[in-house]
Formats: sequence, structure tokens, C-alpha cells
Amino acid sequence: MQIELIFFIAMIVTFLIGAFLLKLPISLSMMLASIAGALVSGHGIPIKHLVEGTFGYIDTILVIATAMMFMKVIEESGALDTLNFLIVRKFHNNPVLLLILIMIIIMFPGMITGSSTAAVLSSGAIVAPVLMTMGIPVAETGAIIAMGAIYGMIAPPVNVPAMIIGGGIDLPYVGFTIPLLLLIVPVAVFTVLFLGLKYAKNFDYEQFILSSTNSVDSSSELVKSNVKEIKLFIPILVLIFLMLASKIAPQIIPNLGMPLIFLISAIVGLFTGKKVNFIQTSKSAVKSTLPVLGILMGVGMFIQIMTLTGVRGFIVDVALSLPSVFLYLGIAIFIPLFGAVSAFGSSSVLGVPFCLALLGKNEIIVAAALSFIAGTGDLVPPTALAGIFAAQVVGEENYFNILKKCIIPVIAIVVWGLVFIIFANPIGDLIL
Amino acid sequence: MDNKKTASVIFLIIALVVSFIAGKSFSSMHIPEVIVAGPGVTMQKMLSDYFPQLKGTNGDAEIYILEGDKAGGSMLVLGGTHANEPGGYMAAISLIETAKIDSGTLYIIPRANNSAFSHNDAQEGSPQRFTIETEYGEREFRYGSRATNPIDQWPDPDVYVHAASGQQLSGSETRNLNRAYPGRSDGTFTEKVTYAITEMIKVENIDITLDLHEASPEYPVINAIVSHEYAMGIASVVTINLQLKGVDIALEPSPTNLRGLTHRELGDYTDTLALLAETANAAQGRLRGKTDEDLVIKGKDKMYVNAAKRGNLYVPFDENGHPLEERVGRHLETIKEITSVYTAKNENNPIIITNLPDYEEIQEKGVGFMLNPLS
Repeated sequence: MQIELIFFIAMIVTFLIGAFLLKLPISLSMMLASIAGALVSGHGIPIKHLVEGTFGYIDTILVIATAMMFMKVIEESGALDTLNFLIVRKFHNNPVLLLILIMIIIMFPGMITGSSTAAVLSSGAIVAPVLMTMGIPVAETGAIIAMGAIYGMIAPPVNVPAMIIGGGIDLPYVGFTIPLLLLIVPVAVFTVLFLGLKYAKNFDYEQFILSSTNSVDSSSELVKSNVKEIKLFIPILVLIFLMLASKIAPQIIPNLGMPLIFLISAIVGLFTGKKVNFIQTSKSAVKSTLPVLGILMGVGMFIQIMTLTGVRGFIVDVALSLPSVFLYLGIAIFIPLFGAVSAFGSSSVLGVPFCLALLGKNEIIVAAALSFIAGTGDLVPPTALAGIFAAQVVGEENYFNILKKCIIPVIAIVVWGLVFIIFANPIGDLIL
Repeated sequence: MDNKKTASVIFLIIALVVSFIAGKSFSSMHIPEVIVAGPGVTMQKMLSDYFPQLKGTNGDAEIYILEGDKAGGSMLVLGGTHANEPGGYMAAISLIETAKIDSGTLYIIPRANNSAFSHNDAQEGSPQRFTIETEYGEREFRYGSRATNPIDQWPDPDVYVHAASGQQLSGSETRNLNRAYPGRSDGTFTEKVTYAITEMIKVENIDITLDLHEASPEYPVINAIVSHEYAMGIASVVTINLQLKGVDIALEPSPTNLRGLTHRELGDYTDTLALLAETANAAQGRLRGKTDEDLVIKGKDKMYVNAAKRGNLYVPFDENGHPLEERVGRHLETIKEITSVYTAKNENNPIIITNLPDYEEIQEKGVGFMLNPLS
């Protein structure tokens, strides 16, 4: 047995004991597992490495915390309810169109920022009430949001996993738009219709109008005044503007970074609707994200110790050692599983070697397809950022219920991605 | 105090202690290793002499100038563009401490991205330092990061757009010195450093520029010289000569669609002949096993041996690995060949370096024998 496997088993066993036997939080269990791995491999307790590992997620942590503040503010200001009412009123006659439109709305922030978390906590929060109003159950709603956020993260113009894979093989991020759209659009349409259409078809619009008008703080009340309506949406418009502005006119609008963009939009939201207590809302937002932030830090330590001790290399070695007939199976299994670290981490550590192993096939098609498959990593526990935040957005306590609903769309992604990889050359000849 | 408060206080104290220990360790990376100027060094300058905005920042880097007694051409050697590629900057440091110049002028920037030496990449498990044995005792050198320290440039954008071309790369590449050329005077911290280097090349009329790198063994461009089209005449002869000497090396043309790199932008934006050299460093690869100082120096890794057997690599890799003396030796031999071929083609503008050991001698005696005593 390879020594790295022993280290890995020690880390996994410690994690399982911490999480399930001692009922410790996942974050602490990950930290203990990291310390165990370091001890067993003769590194003592390497504080420098443990702390350094957490820094890999510092930007993500800031995005999550500020995005959650934004979400809570627009929720409490009444903007979400009002938008929900307006969308349903406009499109209730055509559920297929409405569902596809909702999928595009969910994807949009991810397409601009390359972050699934940003998508879940901004547009995901906006459409969640719409979907649930249409009669789509909580778990299916969460799954649509989580999957939409992942499609957004992978869709052009910004696909960070593809850029990471391309960077590893000196492949410029040029010519990816059409392959990515061909990969994503069919699966995204399938996902939203598969998960939502059967419920949306039975939507009782009259009942919806009745319940809205009867409700004490009904959204329709707010809709009565057009001025108020527009004012309510200002924070959302500010968010969209700031996300787009630094891309369209980088010389005029500097890169503010996602955390600042969410924070500015949240502050604007304090003055555009119902009164919001910013301190309380911020505290509640940070409190609700703390477990995930802790998990990210624990995972950061875990991956740093895996790298330090050679366990990471061992896993890559095993993945690449698969006989060539199983190479595609390896891509289908290892890339999503390693996404437990993060989709970006999986793209770098496994996406690049797999892409190199497939040289000879059209590199753009292969890198695009690998990035598509890597995106599913954001649904893999313990990080499972897209799943966990989709659960928070829809109010589902157990995010595994949402992950279960994502299984079929994830299989669709992997199969469709593999089809593109296997037939990369003819597809490339056809579209590039 | 109730139990909850007691636990909070205990955790706060633990957090403070951990922060102190980690902070002390991180801040130690800001202390530069000593480079001992050798017999050939005639002058020392800073990048800020060419772009004053860098003065007092972590982007300011030393330039060692070795001027020969006889006039001639000029060459710039860049080490430490990526501070996790020690083959490059140890070759540059060995030149500073050992080389003499007969004709022409040699400019050496051993820590081109000075900021990148002050931190490690998160989740890479890299050692902070490695030790080289010399006949005068041990010398310690930092093993840094591929990119500028976020302390100097943060946050990263979602997407890095290369200013001169509009090319898009992942956001973290915005801190990669070798994606930021030719640089901008009003750009990011990293772009300002590349701007200073570009300015220096223009002001000093540098004839040849060689950027010393290392690459992961699974990276396709490895054990290679990458050449701008204007430098191809020299690079092709250098490659053949090195191969005749038993140094297995390839020649790659600088891609026109991969922007921001020295071999592309310095060739396009200045009159220098732009070249880049790569050796194989297992310590920066994705397939590597245990990551430590030994891997950096000895370059042995069983995971890479497995990968080579499977045909996953672009460089031979056996149980002997690729030790630092081999990587530094390759770079120094490449420099010797470049100056030799350049001089043969430009007899009135020669660059002649003396006092440099040859490839076999470096492999036999190690890097340490080219380094000077600290006091």
C-alpha cells in the first residue's frame, strides 16, 4: 500500500469520526482531519500550512458574505416579492417560456462573474419565489437554481474553469463561445423543463392573484405605483450595472471586485423600499453563511495538507493511471468528485492533466467540455456551494434534498460533456 | 462567566496565538536572501531608476550590471519572473556571483517579480525556503509564488484582460508578471513592474533579453527555448549547438496569439531579441507527490516517474529526477551559447562572458560552488 494512501485514510477516518461520531461541525472535522494528516506524515502541526490553505478561499468567502447581505436586503425591502408578482403576471400563460426565461435570469450573474455562488444569491434569490409561486416544490426550485447557477458559471462570456484549463496548456480563451453555448443551452433547457414543467402546467393563476391581493403586505400593493416599483428595483439595476460596467468600459469603471459590488448594491437597497435595519440584516446574513465559510476554511486546510503530504498527487496519479478505455470514466468520476474542493480547484488539478492526456483532439472543444463537467463540482459536498446556498435561498433545511434532484441534470451534463470530448474533432471541424 | 463565554474566550486566544505564529512565518518571507556581488559586477541599479513610481514598493528590484573592459553588445537576463521556478533565479544569481565580462554588458535582474518572493501560493504546500550547500557553509534562498503577492495587488478581477491585446485570461493571471508585458505606467502593480523592465530595455538599448523559467514536467513547452521571430536566427543555431553538446533542448516559436509574455511583447515593443528558456521543475507540477525542499533541490518524484512511464510527460523523468544543478546548468549553458552565437554574428558588437563553469562541471559540483561566502 502506498504511504500516501495511508495518509489519506487517516485524514478521511478522522473526518468521519469528527463529523459523525463526535457530531462536530464539518469545518472543525476538516481541520482535525488536516491536522491528523500532517501528524501521520511527520509534519507535526504545521500552523503556517493550515492557515495558508484557508487563504485559497478568501475571495470566495468575501463574495459569499456580501452576496448574502445583498440578498437579505432586497428580500426585506420588498423588491423580491414585487418582482415575483410582476414576472408571474406577465408570463403565466406560457409556462415553457417562463421557465426558460427564469433559467436565463438565474444564469446571468454567473455568466458575467464566473461565480455560481453570486448567481444563486442574486438572481437565484429573485426567481425562487416565482418558481415556488408557480407550484414547483421547494427541492425542485432549489435544484433549478443550483443547476442554473452552474450553467451560468460555465456559460460565456466568463468561464473561469475553461480559462484555468487553457492557461495550463497555453490555450488562449478565444473561440469558446459557440462550443460552450452548444454544451450548455440544450442541457439547461432540459433541466428547467424536466424539473419544473409538470408543476408549472398546473399553476392556478387566479388563486395566486387572490392570495396576493388578500395578503396584508401584498406585492400587488407595491405594484400599484409605478414609481415605487422602479425605485424598488434600483439595487438590482445597480448590481447589474456594476457587474457589466467594468467589463464593458474597464478604462472608465475600475474593477471593484464582487464583494464591493454586492456591498454597494446592498447599501443602495436600504433607501429604495421598506425600511431595513442594516446592522441586523448584515449580522443575520453573516450568521447564516458562517457554517459554509467555516467549511471552506476547513477544505482549504485539507487540500493544503493533501498537497504537502503527496496525497493530492496520489489522487491525480490514480486518475491518470486508468487504462485508456476507462479514461472517459475517470473524467466522469474524478473531476466532479474533486470539485468537493471547488470547481476551480478541480479544473486546475485534474482538468489540465486530463486535457493534456487528450491532446490530439480539438483542444477548445475538450477544454470547454471539461470545464462543463468540472462545474458540477459545485454540487459535491462538503463545499457544495451551489447546493447549500440554493437550499438557503428556498428555505430548505437539508441541502441533500436539493442535491438529489440535481442527479439527473448532472448525469446529463457529464454524458453531454463526454459526447463532446469523444467527438471533439468532428464537432470542432463543424463549428470552429 | 458561563460556558459559552468561556469557550469563546478560549477560542479567541487560540485564534490570536495561531495568527501570531502564522503571521510571523508569513512576514519572514519579506526578508530578502543575500546576493553577493561577484568579481564581474561593476554597478548596481534598481528598476525604479527607470520608472520612479516603483521606488519604495515591493515591485522595485535590483539590477546587477556586469560591464566588460571592452565595448560590445548588451544582454538582459531575467530570473525570478516566477518566484517558484528556482532554476531560473538560481542561474541568474550564479551569474551575478561568478561571471566576468570581457566584452559588452550583462544586465541581470535576479528577482524580476520581487513581490512574488514574499509569499507562497495557497493550497500548494510549498516550502518557504531551500538550502544550498557551499564550500563556505549553507546559503538559504526563498521559494516564492508564481504571482505577485496579493498584499501588493488585490482584488483580482473575474477576468484578466491583457491591456495591449484585449486577450482574456483567468482573473488570477492579472498578477502574473509574464502575462503583463509590455506593461503600463498607469496600470496595475504588476503592469508597472513590466513597464519598468520594458523601459529599461529601451533606455539601455538591450540587444538580447533572456527570461529564465521552469515548467511542470507535464507542460508541453519544456526543456526548450521559446523565441520571438526576430530572434529565430540566433535561437536555431543555439539549439543545434546545445544539442551537439548533449543538452537535449527544443526550439519553439513564440505564439502570436498568446499575449503578455516576454518572448512576444518585448520582441514586438522593443528592439531586443526576445528569448525565453524552460527547464523541468517537478515542485511546481500538478502531478507531484510530497512537496518539500528536497523536491525543489533534488527534483525526484515517484508520481512523475509513474507519469513518464504512462507517457503523460513532455520530458524524460526517471528515478534520478531533474536536480537543481541540472536545471541551473542548462540555463547557464544556454546563456553561454546565446552570447557566443550572437558574438559570431555581430563581431563588432560582441558579448563575451568568462569565468562560467560548463554544464558538466555544474552537474558534478552542484550550484553551491558558484556561490560566494556571505561575509
